[in-house]
Amino acid sequence: MTIRFNRRTMMGGAAAFGAALALPHVARAQAKTLVAATFPGTWNEADRNVISPAFKSATGAAVTQSIVLGTDQVARLTAAKGNKPPFDVAFFDTPQVLDAAKEGLIVEYPAAKSPNFGELIPKFQDKWGPKITMQVIGIGYNPKKISTPPKSWEELWEPKYKGRVGLTALNSQLGIAFLAELNRIKGGSETDFEPAFKALRELLPNVGAIAANLGAYATLWQQEQIDIAPYNFNFVQTLKAKDVPVEFTIPQTGAAGWETSLHLVANAQEPDLAVKYIDLHLDPKIQTQVMKPPYDVIPTSSKVTLEGAITNSLAKTHDDLAKVRGFDWEKLNPQRGALIERFNREIKV
Amino acid sequence: MKVKGDESPLALPLAAVFAAFFVAPLCVLVLLSLHGEAAMRTWTAASYVKFFTDSFNYSILWETLLLGVKATLVCLVFGYPIAWVCARSGARLQSIIVFLVIMPILTSVVVRTFAWIVILGRQGIINQVWLGLGATEPLRLLYTETGVIMVLAQVQMPLMVLPILTVMSKIDPNLADASRVLGAGEWRTLWRVTIPLSLPGVIAGCILTYTACITAFVTQTLIGGARLIYMPLHIYQQAVGANNWPFAAAISVIFMVAVLVIVGILGAIGRRSETFARA
Amino acid sequence: MPAPRAFSGEVGTGSPQKMRPTEKASNIDWEALSLRIVFGALTIVAMVFLVAPTVIVLLTSLTASESLRFPPPALSLRWYYALIDADQMQRAAWNSLVIAFWTTLISVVLGTGASLAIARSRARWLRAADLLFMSPLLLPALAFGFAALVYINRLGFSPNIPFLVLGHVIVCVPFILRTTVAALTQLDPALLDASQSLGASSWMTFRRVTLPLIAPGLGSGAFLAFMASFDNVPVSLFLADERTEVLPIHLWQQIDTNLDVRTAAASGLIIVFTLVLMVVTERMAGLTRQMR
Repeated sequence: MTIRFNRRTMMGGAAAFGAALALPHVARAQAKTLVAATFPGTWNEADRNVISPAFKSATGAAVTQSIVLGTDQVARLTAAKGNKPPFDVAFFDTPQVLDAAKEGLIVEYPAAKSPNFGELIPKFQDKWGPKITMQVIGIGYNPKKISTPPKSWEELWEPKYKGRVGLTALNSQLGIAFLAELNRIKGGSETDFEPAFKALRELLPNVGAIAANLGAYATLWQQEQIDIAPYNFNFVQTLKAKDVPVEFTIPQTGAAGWETSLHLVANAQEPDLAVKYIDLHLDPKIQTQVMKPPYDVIPTSSKVTLEGAITNSLAKTHDDLAKVRGFDWEKLNPQRGALIERFNREIKV
Repeated sequence: MKVKGDESPLALPLAAVFAAFFVAPLCVLVLLSLHGEAAMRTWTAASYVKFFTDSFNYSILWETLLLGVKATLVCLVFGYPIAWVCARSGARLQSIIVFLVIMPILTSVVVRTFAWIVILGRQGIINQVWLGLGATEPLRLLYTETGVIMVLAQVQMPLMVLPILTVMSKIDPNLADASRVLGAGEWRTLWRVTIPLSLPGVIAGCILTYTACITAFVTQTLIGGARLIYMPLHIYQQAVGANNWPFAAAISVIFMVAVLVIVGILGAIGRRSETFARA
Repeated sequence: MPAPRAFSGEVGTGSPQKMRPTEKASNIDWEALSLRIVFGALTIVAMVFLVAPTVIVLLTSLTASESLRFPPPALSLRWYYALIDADQMQRAAWNSLVIAFWTTLISVVLGTGASLAIARSRARWLRAADLLFMSPLLLPALAFGFAALVYINRLGFSPNIPFLVLGHVIVCVPFILRTTVAALTQLDPALLDASQSLGASSWMTFRRVTLPLIAPGLGSGAFLAFMASFDNVPVSLFLADERTEVLPIHLWQQIDTNLDVRTAAASGLIIVFTLVLMVVTERMAGLTRQMR
């Protein structure tokens, strides 16, 4: 039985709907929103669950997360240069800071407006923006299938892992760092990546899947589609909290890592809110909270002592963390595009 | 006496919008593709040369076009029977079938593809059944071309079924009856009567399905993973990842031209097949 | 005029089994049955194939656990409750609704005029215009989205909601054109003649005669356009940014970045929303009839 399409009822309905659409727009104009970038994986969850609510109660403003990888953030900021930037707070790994500062995409951090800045461990107080954590890469493995933790990267090439090894695309920091570390182990240098690509070719028969992004990577672990792969400490902890069978171990060649920092973007729409938001990440209370499971984020404030999973797998004190090997990003950055293209070619089926 | 005004000016507003926001951007795209590198200073066909001289690039184009063919065939094999059954059902059953058929199109493609990740994975339902039946190794479906074809077929099947159904509903049932009375069996009737008469619908369905399958960015990327690169992902990687706009524009133009050529060929076949019905 | 092919040479050349009319009623027509079984089986498999993923998403979203396993170990509504706190997802959903509303409105207004022109006028440029208007359905939407972004950039703008709506109008208006032109061609011209000979102006005829009669077709097209805009990914990928986030892109980002069962719950809500709208459109405009 069809209802008669009465013109009047339709017009009335449409008018009411239109009015409803106009009103909230007016109402929402009162509540401010800050658009801040964040990384996929551990950090977007930490930001959403811990820092955003704290920010809301401190300032009354909401946060819209832009979950984008560091290099993509730089690309978007560059594309929007001169106009309104797509987000006010940038979330970078060490390599991106250099490029962004050079291009004028970020401004010097107004430390005077940020009470918690001074309490950071001195080496984490950077003029372009405070370092909020460190990331360390190592080997992730499925404890249900692999009972003894792997001791070195070489194990990924062992025939017993045929079809069980996972990799992630080079657009993420994890991907590039793994390639750089592989290159170093195989005797290459920042100007010669052939040893790394040769090793990659030899690895391909063992590779079960290569994830295009970090979400797909997490799915591979959960579905137990891969058993052993490069991974970083925080992502492993976050997955463990979701009952995914994965553990983290540092190979004998030692831990490699980098720092992650927050920055104020040039031409930000809400600069004061942005600084408050960044400052909240430096607050010892917040840092202690995200140091706990499921985030297990490495803190950078001098007022926070290391504990928990960090002390079990990584380092007992901040001095230990200082020993984590870094990369020469100045030399690696310019090659990123070429490396990505080369990688995509090598892995294409 | 008929007073018929000329209604053609009524299309002008839409034509203006299309000119300003469809034709113009495409022209800008073509112009952009005629630049060399990202610096964009000179006019050159270098981007096109780069595309066609590198086997990496044209193999992506070829595989994308081939993917469309495979997925369209699967849609045809399963979609034709649906249309056939539906055309011969009562009104109520017809409504139900059509409702179920269009439901997937209307559900967000992200949602549907996401469901398939759950189904095709190592611990997904297909593997649960497969291993339950006694197999020792789980099937690798996710991140393989087979998986992509399966999902594409499900996601785009409605585009195959509906045009065929439209044409089938209009086929004069007397023709099939006459065929049977004259002694042809069901299969023969199908082959000699029904299929030729429904051919225009089949072609229309193939055109819509094919174009949808080859441009299905979300499905190809979520199910295909990083190792299966097709044209849409290639465009996206160059545009957003590598920030190489001229090259991305060139790939886009090549892709559009390829689609237009194929649609043109299929459309011509479609028009010829309509003569079967008219006869 | 050549005879239909079925008649060529079939009569009298078949084996005895083919002479149906004299067979006894109790004999089963195996041949016909075999066709029906094959096609019936293929249809059932295909229908399950079509419907299963939707059902699986709904069931998976009701899981009590943290992971996306099917069948879910235990059922619970916890992930739907979690959506209450998903501020950003709600904002994205609201943006999508607003954009879909404006897209549909503009597409209906422009598309109705264009449909009238295409269905009635003989002007030659309209044949070409018709092809142009329908081409967004065939051309890769991703390429168009990218082209639109480049275009806006060249004009000196950055992506914003009006441009996003325009982009959606381009890819959604074909749906309205298709159903409305079909409805118009089925309109009995005698009714229009009658109206005009009774003294009604063109506008009056349109309002009182044409519009009510094509309303089901137009309504179905509007519904399809609304859903196409709400679900659109390829155009939104380029023309929407963080400040104007839309739901499909947000869900896509969530799937891209982490294992979040809330994505399944959001998907469940979208499915229910779509189903409800479909049933309403079916009741009011006979959606399934328009699609045939």
